[in-house]
Amino acid sequence: MKTPTTETTTPLPGKATGSIVPIIEMRDIHVKFQGKPVLNGFCLQLFPGEKLVLTGESGLGKSTILRCILGFVIPDAGQILIQAKPLTPESVWKLRTLLSYVPQEPELDDGKLEEWFTNPFSFRANTGLRKNLDRLPGLLERFYLSAELLHKEVKALSGGEKQRAALIAAILLQRKIFLLDEPTSALDSKNAKRIMDFLFSIPDASILAVSHDQTFLELADRTIQICAKGVNHAN
Amino acid sequence: MQTENIGIWALSSYYILLIIPFGMMLWLRIPIIGKMLVAIIRMTLQLLFVGFYLQIVFQLNSAWLNSLWLLVMVMVADLSIIRGCGLKLRRFVAPLFIALVGGTAVPLLAFVGLLLNRPNIMDAQYVIPMGGMILGNCLRADIVGIRNFYENMRQREKSFLHTLSQGARLHEAIRPYLRQAYQAALMPTVATIATIGLVALPGMMTGVILGGADPMTAIKYQIAIMIAILTGTAITVILAILMSVKSSFNPYGLLDSRAFRS
Repeated sequence: MKTPTTETTTPLPGKATGSIVPIIEMRDIHVKFQGKPVLNGFCLQLFPGEKLVLTGESGLGKSTILRCILGFVIPDAGQILIQAKPLTPESVWKLRTLLSYVPQEPELDDGKLEEWFTNPFSFRANTGLRKNLDRLPGLLERFYLSAELLHKEVKALSGGEKQRAALIAAILLQRKIFLLDEPTSALDSKNAKRIMDFLFSIPDASILAVSHDQTFLELADRTIQICAKGVNHAN
Repeated sequence: MQTENIGIWALSSYYILLIIPFGMMLWLRIPIIGKMLVAIIRMTLQLLFVGFYLQIVFQLNSAWLNSLWLLVMVMVADLSIIRGCGLKLRRFVAPLFIALVGGTAVPLLAFVGLLLNRPNIMDAQYVIPMGGMILGNCLRADIVGIRNFYENMRQREKSFLHTLSQGARLHEAIRPYLRQAYQAALMPTVATIATIGLVALPGMMTGVILGGADPMTAIKYQIAIMIAILTGTAITVILAILMSVKSSFNPYGLLDSRAFRS
């Protein structure tokens, strides 16, 4: 049975020395789905402000890594720390408010796009961020989305429009950590580049992304190649 | 005016009418003859049993015995919901029991205690038929509500998880699914209320008229029971869904597949 491992292809200058506390740390993570190992001793450190991209073949558990950090997949063994706090059933609710997640093929709910953007600000954790909605028109323009789309049913949006909407929603929540799962897979190269430039220019933002996009890999501070060779090792 | 009694032999011979549906099924080769036969036998035995039991209950008219009978009815409804929704017995039997008791007790006690102003609030003549009608509707509404809620949760899991990732607490993330399920559960009652009397004479009214009361009294009872049913279903569905949530999500806010039978 092949299980994924990691290979650091580009070292992070000056950061992997142990002097800086990682903003996300995964220690010896084991995950099995229906008895089959998906992650086997996986380790990862994401440092503050770092832009780290996971790449590799499909089906090796890259999305599972992001889902573990969000508490959507509970590892069979190992520990996850976010801002040095262990991810537990008690802490997960607070820790999720530090993260912005853009899933692969975002599935937006029913209703108008405008409601979809405003809905997260009705959650208690985000009520203080409501003023961020003022940035919405500017972000729509920047991401080549027409303001008229706001009054359109979410179901009627194309894959690319949904993906850009999900990225805007993630930016509006003003988190320090972005977890992006193939965020540009439905975008043309021009849109993808524009969005990546914007995301990578957000000051202090730490990004952990899964991507096969070459431009994304080139812009990243560090990339990790997930391979199917055996046990994962700390990078 | 008094209700005409039906003789045992007269009723037995009335079964002959069933030749018509049996004949039709044979002619059309519909393979539910066995099921229908079992259903008719079950109906006869169940009603005979209930008839004998209710005779005793009505004669004694003990508040404790009547309450116990209602609780047995609630328990049967509880198990029926668990089976109908594919839920695990151990996890859901208690929360659904509370939801059914809440949905039945509030409108029932208001009906007998406040509206009819009966000295014995657990008077068998009122609480047992009324309780049965309210409970029957609560049962149907709970099955629709719970099924709709969890089917939607499963179908739109990605969207639900995305909401959690945006910082929603569990009660905030389930709200759209709760709203939709609640609407689905209450719509049949609302639709029935809107058309009542136009399509068919409702059961309660028929019963009161057959019991010898004048149609205006029957109508007043019917209005009261419709209010009781709407109130009861509104209470039970919200309680059933919210209380079942505690048993069906893990501490990370994820739907726990072990809470369901399949």
